[in-house]
Amino acid sequence: MDLSFLLAGCGKSMTSFFAMTFLFLFLPSCIIIYAIVPKTWKKYVLLIASYWFFWLISGLLVIYLWLSTLSVFLLGLWLEKLQERMKTKLKALPKEERKAAKIPLIREQRGVVVLGVVLHIGFLLVIKYSGFIIDNVNTLFKMLDSPIRAGVPSYLMPIGISFFSLQAVSYIIDVYHGLVKADRNFFRLSLFMSFFPQIVEGPICRYSQTAEQLWQVGTIRYHNLTFGVQRILYGMMKKIVIADRLNPMIENIFDKSNNFDGGIIALGAICYTIQLYMDFSGSMDAVIGVAEIFGVTMPENFQRPFFSRNISEFWKRWHISLGAWFRDYIFYPVTTAKKMKNLTSSARKKIGNHFGPLLAGSIALFCVWFCNGLWHGAAWSFIFFGMYHFMWILLENITAPAVKWTNTKLHINSECLAYRIMQIVRTALLVIIGELFFRTNGFQAGFALFKRIFTQFSFTGLDARTLYKLGIDWHDLCIVGVTLLIVFVVSLIQEKGIVVRDALAKKNIAVRWGILYALILYIIIFGAYGFGYIPVDPMYAHF
Amino acid sequence: MERLIEILEGIQPDVDYKNCTDLIDGHRLSSLDIISLIAELEDEYDITIPAVEIIPANFNSADAMMKMIERLQEDL
Repeated sequence: MDLSFLLAGCGKSMTSFFAMTFLFLFLPSCIIIYAIVPKTWKKYVLLIASYWFFWLISGLLVIYLWLSTLSVFLLGLWLEKLQERMKTKLKALPKEERKAAKIPLIREQRGVVVLGVVLHIGFLLVIKYSGFIIDNVNTLFKMLDSPIRAGVPSYLMPIGISFFSLQAVSYIIDVYHGLVKADRNFFRLSLFMSFFPQIVEGPICRYSQTAEQLWQVGTIRYHNLTFGVQRILYGMMKKIVIADRLNPMIENIFDKSNNFDGGIIALGAICYTIQLYMDFSGSMDAVIGVAEIFGVTMPENFQRPFFSRNISEFWKRWHISLGAWFRDYIFYPVTTAKKMKNLTSSARKKIGNHFGPLLAGSIALFCVWFCNGLWHGAAWSFIFFGMYHFMWILLENITAPAVKWTNTKLHINSECLAYRIMQIVRTALLVIIGELFFRTNGFQAGFALFKRIFTQFSFTGLDARTLYKLGIDWHDLCIVGVTLLIVFVVSLIQEKGIVVRDALAKKNIAVRWGILYALILYIIIFGAYGFGYIPVDPMYAHF
Repeated sequence: MERLIEILEGIQPDVDYKNCTDLIDGHRLSSLDIISLIAELEDEYDITIPAVEIIPANFNSADAMMKMIERLQEDL
């Protein structure tokens, strides 16, 4: 076995939780060491494993993570000191004088928060977006026939920076609001910031969700081990059997100029959306499963998004932790800002209860979706992706009263199955179109493909020649189809409120182990790995 | 409490605010209603509702809203 990955920064293959090196070497060694050390040492084993993991995938860039943790640790303590000083000062004053006295003291604390946000988001902006910004400024100068050109900088970016930077910012803001106390234990905060299953692709956790759990870890229990392994295997099936098997086809459609007709491009957009969902949600299953082995409950990042009835609901079910972060730290602060509240109050009086708050809500929504687009990457196609979803959510909000009125007048039951299915299909189609632009290399390429769906649409069927050009065969399509059916049935059961794993746990031992072995065999037999297959890079690892 | 109910009815009528305990979880108040409600409550009760207070537990019933208002008034 090639052990060169043990060298710093050479373990990049481990960014996928389904890499052999992670599943059969790194994770088992962590579990064994964790199991044999005394209880008080277990949390430190997780901390060392987390930094070791980050060092393996990012080498010396681990310093970014350490500095980020150190800065929020110090800023948190500083905030706490200011809060205590404020309490003492206010206590000494009569009640009627407190409000005025509070203002400069709060301003001081806000200064610390701003410093924390500027440090983390500013740093992220510099290393992730400065190239994009300067590139566009240069293009602008070129268009104006100006000879001025700035050098485009290039920085080494640690994997997962967009995830741990958001965690750092949320910690500082939560300390400021008094939702959590500043952590006086640097190791506990370090473990919260670096916990290895979540560092690459999230979920973006809040301090209140995982920090204490991670610090209180105990003995590995049989229930946690089996449930964790089950969840990893389920994610592995999604990733290796579906996402990786679809990869050659998607690369052929989007990355090579094979001039496929509109029908195949539409099929490619559908398959890419499936691939993205299977890859990302499969990775999240692995993250949650690994954490579960150590007795840590991570927040869910997906809630069957393709059952959503509108785009707004879709984003409450897809990458939940990112949506919640934007809601709590951008949407609400923008809508509750004083000027926005004044705008809402005056607009309500003039244009009514629905459209009045919509004005401030739309401005906040624009900020959220601009940031969401940019968070995914430094390119116009990502900004377009954000604006595309903003536009649909805005349209849903604007037309909501008219749709309700029409349904009432036409006696349409919006809760009947047919209506719900129509809404689900419409939402899925809109998401698929958005993902087409997300996948293509640049906005123009995306628009060219999108145009071809309508101008050159022909779908003569998947004959042997087309399938060869796509790099797949009927065998691949059948395996993907059957596996998707399994995922769909499981999702449907979950949608009905049944916890599938709890239901399975009540079955007898033969059924339980039979299902587990069947799942392992299914992955071994039908997984797309080995010679001739190139696994998909974890798509969210580079955001 | 009477004034709070009046404000709520002005924003979204046809809800039994005296007895309803799932205004957010039951989707009776939308995010747009909440934006209006916060602006109204701040004006009426001379308080500042920070973004962190916008959680279902504080807005699921008129009673919970009143408790939040009283707590924020005490914090001043």
